[in-house]
Amino acid sequence: MYTQFFGNYLLSHSYVTQDQLFSAMQREADARMRLGTLAINSGFMTAQEVDEVIIAQTHESKKFGEIAVECGYLTEEQVMDLLREQSPDFLLLGQVLVDDGIITNSDLENIIADYRSENEILDFDITSDNHEIIRRLIENLFNQDSTMTIESKSYFELLFNDFVRFVGEDFTPLPADKIKAFPVDKCIRQEIQGNYQIRSFISMDEETAIAFASRYVGDTFTEYDEYVQASLEDFLNLHNGLFIVNISNDSSIELTITAPELVEDPILDFDNPVYHFQVLYSFGIVHFLIELV
Amino acid sequence: MDINTSKILITDDSILARKQLKDIILTMGNPTFIEAVDGADCVEKYKEYSPDIIFLDIVMPKKDGNTAIREIMDINPNALIIICSSIGTKSQLKSALESGATEFIQKPISKEQVIETITKVIKGR
Repeated sequence: MYTQFFGNYLLSHSYVTQDQLFSAMQREADARMRLGTLAINSGFMTAQEVDEVIIAQTHESKKFGEIAVECGYLTEEQVMDLLREQSPDFLLLGQVLVDDGIITNSDLENIIADYRSENEILDFDITSDNHEIIRRLIENLFNQDSTMTIESKSYFELLFNDFVRFVGEDFTPLPADKIKAFPVDKCIRQEIQGNYQIRSFISMDEETAIAFASRYVGDTFTEYDEYVQASLEDFLNLHNGLFIVNISNDSSIELTITAPELVEDPILDFDNPVYHFQVLYSFGIVHFLIELV
Repeated sequence: MDINTSKILITDDSILARKQLKDIILTMGNPTFIEAVDGADCVEKYKEYSPDIIFLDIVMPKKDGNTAIREIMDINPNALIIICSSIGTKSQLKSALESGATEFIQKPISKEQVIETITKVIKGR
């Protein structure tokens, strides 16, 4: 569940570049979790011990677990526990980066500990989805911006969940910011109206849009056509629709939405500060903007 | 009512939403499809083709779904209208049903839900 924010953590702490992360994400789906990575994550072994066992594996054809038990780093029971354990998704991303030589096992050991303490993620809830944790991670993403309204936080929390639910969970939010202008590519806008007004925009380049639409619809698109554009509109419309349903259920405020429309201007200029939320998928970057009017 | 001899009017400003709905209905049979892109177009097509079932989105340019429902109800108070909308708030649901809609499906639509709803409205006739 928290792979998304782990990637963002690595980026914001300069452990990886965006290109390195992008490349690791593309191969993550094919990678398999190794016992050594799980042992570091659980605290059963240090990174140094794991490295020793990996080196020993090059001399003798034994499994990682067998050598670790022989060296006294793990008990047989711990090996069984690790094999049974459901590993948090973010670990796999860390492991791919170790394989790529971008970080070492020692780095990974420290990064995991820091990531957890910074985001107050405890062992027991790391694989469950938790409202509070997502909210906190989103606040961190926006650098604890104190001017951010409750509605904006709810909006981005739902957006995060909608990306997971309708497009796929293999994304990393890039550092979010506040902007006054934005050069658009393939861009759709939709307004939420009522007690308060929100203008929302989704924008991405053509190639990304084709891949995004293919994922969202569960079909294979090969060119940017009206169905691809309609997919972007549909996602925005669905997300905003769900948002106003939530607001109506939670606080009895009735909002409405306008029909989604294509943005023709090459650059959007805003009178009000605009939150810019961007997510990196293995197929490209999806930009999401909201202007509170 | 037999689905294969029925006429179904699908109204949504999204070409994708219309296609998805048609693809699901085609797994049930082979009705005649008519498409409309907004509320005004829907009312015009209703008058022209007298469809047996109408699928209708709420938020559309020109004329919204609720206005279209009322105008169709004026023409035929027994029209079968199924709303497909992303804004399934209680007040939207209430206003659609009060205007005369028969059923309400919250987007994202699922195949099961569409089939179940069509089966239900067909049985009612």
